[in-house]
Amino acid sequence: MDGYGLAWLAAGIGCGITVLGVGNGIGRLAAAALEAGARQPEAAGDVRTTMIIGAALIEGVALFALVVCIFLALKG
Amino acid sequence: MSSTRHDTLTTQHGHSAEIPPSQVIPHLLQELGDHHEFNIAFTTVDVLPVILYDGGKWYFYRNVSTMEHEGYYRLQKGHIVRSSDGTSPTLDLSVTNVVVYEWIGMLIVLALFWWSGRRYRQRPLAPPRGLQNVLESLVVYVRDEIVRPNLRSERLVRQFMPYFVGLFFFILVLNLMGLLPGMHTATGSIGTTAALAITAFLVINGLAIREIGIKGWLHHLLGGAPVYLAPIMVPIEILGLFTKPFALTVRLFANMSAGHIILLSLIGLIFYFRSIFVAPMSVGFSIFIYMLETLVCFLQTYIFTVLTAVFTGLALGDHVHDNCEQHAA
Repeated sequence: MDGYGLAWLAAGIGCGITVLGVGNGIGRLAAAALEAGARQPEAAGDVRTTMIIGAALIEGVALFALVVCIFLALKG
Repeated sequence: MSSTRHDTLTTQHGHSAEIPPSQVIPHLLQELGDHHEFNIAFTTVDVLPVILYDGGKWYFYRNVSTMEHEGYYRLQKGHIVRSSDGTSPTLDLSVTNVVVYEWIGMLIVLALFWWSGRRYRQRPLAPPRGLQNVLESLVVYVRDEIVRPNLRSERLVRQFMPYFVGLFFFILVLNLMGLLPGMHTATGSIGTTAALAITAFLVINGLAIREIGIKGWLHHLLGGAPVYLAPIMVPIEILGLFTKPFALTVRLFANMSAGHIILLSLIGLIFYFRSIFVAPMSVGFSIFIYMLETLVCFLQTYIFTVLTAVFTGLALGDHVHDNCEQHAA
């Protein structure tokens, strides 16, 4: 396996790990938001806005990782 | 030289003889990004002027072929390089494909609001209908759900509504334009989103400095911690100042390009397997992703605008209004 192969392998594995972490994070966030909305329906609107902002911030971290993966994949 | 500029992937229908397989993805990414030809309705028009600053002198060319005809510069993998040694010029300020699409987006936004503003002036008491109604409800949504809860002061809301409405509709129109066949997503290019994020950076920090003074702004670099923690907090907060616009840039860019890359991969499966039986699955999934992308267009517009508003509100802290205990994050 040459350097390019290693880079592609790193990109693929890194992408998978990123998606694992982010899926976990956004899943927990959505679960907590749903629970809060079910317990207190009048606060559901505020909770949804805060959830979307939180999800966007988590996604931002994921995108940093994915940019690194893309750079690795484009090495070839 | 013309063979590299030629759009082999879209014109050759299946047998991409000129591009080796390992170069297909980089080539497609390059096609999705910015380039020096104007692509519209599946045709490539070589009309964009080239503006270069190199070695203390300005060079203007009517289009890329004129530039290559003159012989000082040539196009290499979509970038303009010097013919003599293949290095790039000092500054390339050419009007590119994405810039033209931004102009088209601006014209669409201006036309929409000019038209709907004229309706209000003609019949100020009539209820809005049709497209006017859509625009009014979106503007009211931006004011009531995005700007007002974050800026918290009616004076600032009135002052900064034009910026946030402009941001919202400009990004929305550019995003949705990318979904039309034969058009190009300007927000799928990192230059566009970086420029939008730089304006957001200026608004966030400029407004904070104007409202709470340079002393208050510097005090926010402590993040609410005691002064003896400054060696730790100040570098982190300064880093935070720049990661916010950077995250805005990358988020919009990556979301807009990711959908296109998935669509290209799904359609590409047909050409990869060279079988008609793959096509129904490919087309079905593509339509699904297309619908998802329509949602993502609206969602990312909302997220860009709301995050700019949230960061502005955080940079202001609780100085403008006293019912909020948030500090600069």
